[in-house]
Amino acid sequence: MADGGTAPAARRWPEGGIGRIPNWVYTDPDIFARELDRIFEGPSWLYTCLEAEIPNPGDFKRSRLGTREVVAVRGEDGRIGVLVNRCAHRSMQMCSANRGHVKEFMCPYHQWTYSLDGKLIGVPFRRGLKGQGGMPADFRLEDRGLESLAVTTRNGVVFASFDAPNETLETYLGAKMLDYFDRVFSGRPLEVLGYWRQRIPSNWKLMMENIKDPYHAGLLHVFLITFGLFRLDQKASTEIDDETGRHGVLVSRRDDTMPTDAVAELPQFRDKLKLEDPRLIQPVREFPGEPTVVMQTIWPNLIVQQQSNAMAMRQIVPRDAGNFDLVWTVFGYADDPPDMRERRLRQANLFGPAGLVSVDDSEAMLLSQSGIAAGEDGDCIVEMDGRDAKDSQHMITECGIRGFYQHYRTVMGL
Amino acid sequence: MIGAAGVSASPELRARLADLYAGYDAALDEGEYERWPEFFTDACIYKITPRENYEAGLPAAMIACESRGMLADRVAAIRETTLYAPRIIRRVMGAPSLLTIEGGQMRLAQSFALFETMLNETSTVFLCGRCYDRVVDDGGTLRFAERICVTDATNIPLSLIFPI
Repeated sequence: MADGGTAPAARRWPEGGIGRIPNWVYTDPDIFARELDRIFEGPSWLYTCLEAEIPNPGDFKRSRLGTREVVAVRGEDGRIGVLVNRCAHRSMQMCSANRGHVKEFMCPYHQWTYSLDGKLIGVPFRRGLKGQGGMPADFRLEDRGLESLAVTTRNGVVFASFDAPNETLETYLGAKMLDYFDRVFSGRPLEVLGYWRQRIPSNWKLMMENIKDPYHAGLLHVFLITFGLFRLDQKASTEIDDETGRHGVLVSRRDDTMPTDAVAELPQFRDKLKLEDPRLIQPVREFPGEPTVVMQTIWPNLIVQQQSNAMAMRQIVPRDAGNFDLVWTVFGYADDPPDMRERRLRQANLFGPAGLVSVDDSEAMLLSQSGIAAGEDGDCIVEMDGRDAKDSQHMITECGIRGFYQHYRTVMGL
Repeated sequence: MIGAAGVSASPELRARLADLYAGYDAALDEGEYERWPEFFTDACIYKITPRENYEAGLPAAMIACESRGMLADRVAAIRETTLYAPRIIRRVMGAPSLLTIEGGQMRLAQSFALFETMLNETSTVFLCGRCYDRVVDDGGTLRFAERICVTDATNIPLSLIFPI
């Protein structure tokens, strides 16, 4: 048992079911260890990278799934493999570039060499030198390949698993979530516009909860509220996947109506504020249907951001109970006309480590974790709009968070 | 006085450049962000981007302003709309080097180290990197036409709130 934490078995979920979250889920190192085991290395499809990052055979991209380091690589046959970035010999991290192109992987330490599909193909002096040294006679290259993960892709997005779920990605997402996924990933080729990364001193679940919580978005994000990009009085829905509740979407439909009195009177609303350069927020409708914002959370490590014309994959990389890295891959479509590409890059100012909107969330997570860590015996209340996990046709709800914990409790045995 | 790296520049020009940087640094070091846009031309480019993107030619910057107005909008956000925990960011700026003068445009570079002090916490290194600048004479006043701040780390400790 690490750090004197209580064994998860001794933990009891508070009365009140999924409407309550005990603070120890955010702080207990034993709970974190169980999350790595059952969620990140369990039967989950983990977002790994975009196919656009590794278009040609030999292209690779490093990624981190849970606390384990992997390399996604496109093989000679065009298929994508995901390999644990650790030499079979002395466990050295072999690949130290984030992206690149190789013919094979060679560990720099003793030059053990692997093919793109992870097979060990070379061990220097395996049979010794001038009859001296070498590996024992029963050493077999084929027993010592790189650990390889199950991989699945859909419309340019790569997922991998340490413990292949006995369901396809499509079943894993469910019909409703798949429709939202395909809305952004329709098969149209993608272009990566850049990477951001931030280290957030909070538990990783607070990030998921933040994106599943539309209630805060209309209160905390003064920038969004003031400029009408997201308001609690706009048409919206909060949906969760029907089978488990583990995935979710926030959907909002921007309209140009004036804020209702209830919103205009919020203390946060700054009606005098005007942008000096309004190009920052001049969104153009580009997807069919009414929604202008769709934020999708895919269990356990991915947020797909489509906020007007700003899109990003936000990958959650847990580090320990109190820290995670948020890795942003900003993207557009490869066939975007120049003005659309420019618009996406402009709107990107709202997101990321310096985002005019996202900073609020990063800082809120810092403050949440500080409060939680100071009182592990307390509970959080997530009873807005009920105590169960079902869709809402509005934003005054915490149903998405309850859906997440409905599934979390099952997987974690809590 | 600004040091020139292999380019000839009059003492007068060096002194004017030194005044630009001194004024800019004084405004930011004292937290007078409202004065920050004054140091840029109307159609300026200001970015903060990780070296990883900069070297790969990937355009998504963490902060990307394309006009003096957008700089002012950033300042308004810091003052009016952004939630952040109280902190001080201490800028320690290296001496700027004048690299080239071409067609009235001066290119300079300046390294930076930023330290962060959250309320009640000890001081830590926040970010370091280098600014790549293009300075022009804008109607008799030297101003930044472009300042690209390239951070050595891609990984940002929590939030990047204030300009460099």
